[in-house]
Amino acid sequence: LDSSTLTLRLGGEPSVLNPVLSTDTSSQAVEGQIFNGLIRINDDLQIEPDLAEKYTISPDGKTYTFFLRKDAVWHDGKPVTAEDVVFTFALILDPHTNTVRRSNYVIGGKPVKVTAIDAHTVTFELNRPYSPFLLRTGMGIVPKHILQGKDVNKAAFNRAPIGSGPYRFVKWESGQHVLLEAFDKSYTPAKTKRILYKIIPDENTALVALKNQDVLMGGIPPQEAPFFDHHEFIQKYQYYDLMYIYMGFNLKNEHFKDLKVRQAIAHAIQKEALVTSVLKGHGKPAFLPMSPLLWAYPQEVKTDPIPFDVEKSKALLKEAGYILNPKTNSLEKNGKPFTFTLITNKGNKEREKTAEIIARSLELLGIKVTIQVMEWSSFLKLVTAPTDPKPFDAVILGWSLDLDPDSTSIWHSAEYPKGFNVVGYSNPEVDRLLEAGCRETDQAKRKAIYGDICIKIAKDCPYVFLYYPESIVGVNKALKGLSKPGPAGLLNRIEHVTISQ
Amino acid sequence: MILRRLLLFFPLVLGMCLVAFFIMKLAPGDPTLIFFDPHLSPKDLELIRHNLGLDRPVYIQFFYWLKEVFHGNLGYSYVTGRPVLDMILERMPATLILTLSSLFVVLFLTFPLGLLSAYKKNSWFDHGVTLFSFIGVSLPTFWVGLMLILLFSLHWDLLPASGYIDPALGDAPFWQQLPSLLSHLVLPLIASVIGDLAGLIRFNRFSVIGILSQDFIKAARARGLSEKRVLFVHAFKNAALPLITILGTALPGLISGAFVVEYIFSWPGMGQLGVAAVFSRDYPILMGLMLFSSILIVLGNLLADVCYMLVDPRIKQ
Repeated sequence: LDSSTLTLRLGGEPSVLNPVLSTDTSSQAVEGQIFNGLIRINDDLQIEPDLAEKYTISPDGKTYTFFLRKDAVWHDGKPVTAEDVVFTFALILDPHTNTVRRSNYVIGGKPVKVTAIDAHTVTFELNRPYSPFLLRTGMGIVPKHILQGKDVNKAAFNRAPIGSGPYRFVKWESGQHVLLEAFDKSYTPAKTKRILYKIIPDENTALVALKNQDVLMGGIPPQEAPFFDHHEFIQKYQYYDLMYIYMGFNLKNEHFKDLKVRQAIAHAIQKEALVTSVLKGHGKPAFLPMSPLLWAYPQEVKTDPIPFDVEKSKALLKEAGYILNPKTNSLEKNGKPFTFTLITNKGNKEREKTAEIIARSLELLGIKVTIQVMEWSSFLKLVTAPTDPKPFDAVILGWSLDLDPDSTSIWHSAEYPKGFNVVGYSNPEVDRLLEAGCRETDQAKRKAIYGDICIKIAKDCPYVFLYYPESIVGVNKALKGLSKPGPAGLLNRIEHVTISQ
Repeated sequence: MILRRLLLFFPLVLGMCLVAFFIMKLAPGDPTLIFFDPHLSPKDLELIRHNLGLDRPVYIQFFYWLKEVFHGNLGYSYVTGRPVLDMILERMPATLILTLSSLFVVLFLTFPLGLLSAYKKNSWFDHGVTLFSFIGVSLPTFWVGLMLILLFSLHWDLLPASGYIDPALGDAPFWQQLPSLLSHLVLPLIASVIGDLAGLIRFNRFSVIGILSQDFIKAARARGLSEKRVLFVHAFKNAALPLITILGTALPGLISGAFVVEYIFSWPGMGQLGVAAVFSRDYPILMGLMLFSSILIVLGNLLADVCYMLVDPRIKQ
């Protein structure tokens, strides 16, 4: 094993190595080593300074001041200054830049004002207090002296980037590999000389590469996990990501309008069984719209408010006016049978299996469920259709969440029909709390607000929250200096990683 | 006649591109509508759509594309912002190495095997070849590929499981890269040969059986020609005819690559580029590939017809 090269797998060809533009995980994995943000996330999911050595937030919550470290330099040797920070955010806010991040820096309808006070001090002025903003300053900073006056969408920079991170870009062979080399002037100098990212699209091939020591790290599918329990040179790590899987009801659907029907369906789904059979035990049941890893999660809610209970389910359906027709063995209301279509996206076996198990459980109650597995774009066409009502009945999906507990884009009534409130959830009380949560700057008060939001939403049962899947990662035992397993990944502090012989 | 065909060349390619463009636009979604992420704002996506000109009518978009093509500009990828031509050309060497070597091996094996199999019809040899063909046709390529990796790479550790050229040889001259390239080529080559070979052998066997029962073969034998001459000169020439058609239609396949094989073996070819472009709705890349393959389709057919005339004088009249 070559102790100077850390070989890792990329699941696909990166699109652009520019944090302003990239949207795919492959690009972002590489960018993480090349670029720095003002702040970063540590293993405990707490914010810590990165390019900024410290920051202050004004008492009114509207002005953020960052004091940059003076020893940060770009890979071409020039110093990193406040001008680069101002430039980066101006670039994102420029309407000609094809970036999906623009709205992150438009608060209350107004772009954030970014000013360089001196060479190493920069301020962000918001037109109203907005707590989720701080995390967004973790955006990778790009060099002004290279990109100024260029069309960033087509810049050669995107394929040969210059950053300030512990690794500098060396080479990128399309469809083959990306090579990085330790940058000796970095303020967090790396111990391992090179990182070689091999592009291996197929999961099975990647698993072979892990076993052959062609790559030193790789994801393991749940069914393969037991084979890595006592592997001679691969250590298995398991951790939760910030995401949950759910079944969403179209709340404008004639059946799902009724809270009792939604609750009845939630009572009929055995989440533990889904975790055991679909995830092979690598996950845990969910019952709130938040990840338990977040500081804002209401730990006081210990049990599922809508537990698995078929008798309760039958009683609720009866109350809602559904009668079992003994001839057809199906539930009927006003002579019409209870049927609906459950859609999910193709290419995700776990969701497909989940759909099948749910359909079977509901069939036992007399509800006929048709499963439709759709190609991603066709699927999104239904789910994100800007019409009211939307053309689907129920959907199985997952949300990957931010480190900030704000979930306005998912639950606020203004995000429907255009936006990610795909089920058409509307609760004025939740709307008010979501707005209050963004305004509030005190973390303890925010925690109370988001706990309240979670409980209120769970009560309204717009989704059946299904489970939190676990990530399983195999790491070659020669790899040392890994960070604590968690959503930040095992290579969160890449500069500490070494490879022993 | 060739002149007329050449005159038809441009309208044909243009027509194919036009149809392809509209079919492509019929597929739901566009490069901005494939995101489903609560951190994104629909407003940003709308702005990008506007910047890329996707909010204009489809025929206008086609017109702009066509205009640029006549200026020698295939446009820029929506995903990477790089020139389409660069992205296609950098994939060409790996694609051609795999497809050409595969075609060569397939032809090299098909002719003798098909010919002998037909000549010794219903013998053990023929049954063996038939059995192999049926198994070869039925095995899905991804399974064959994985089995090859498991056996040759994981189990016996003879050959690399995936990749193209060893990254350590990145800057070495080509002759030093060659051994690495060849060792990476073996498994994907076997995987892509097996499926193609099986089908083509069957095809060749049937056409040779048909030829061997014809009168001119009887006449040749009656004239006392050796079996070798009958088989390898008289029958062979006639059996080559349908293969010309197949080769003509195989021409566009040479550059479009083989997605499944490339995907499994991480081979940096055109197939991966094309399929990724389909999923991300990268229209400029798709149209660039479409332009290349429609030119090759028309060219392939033209070449096949010309070859027919050379091989079979009857067609000229």
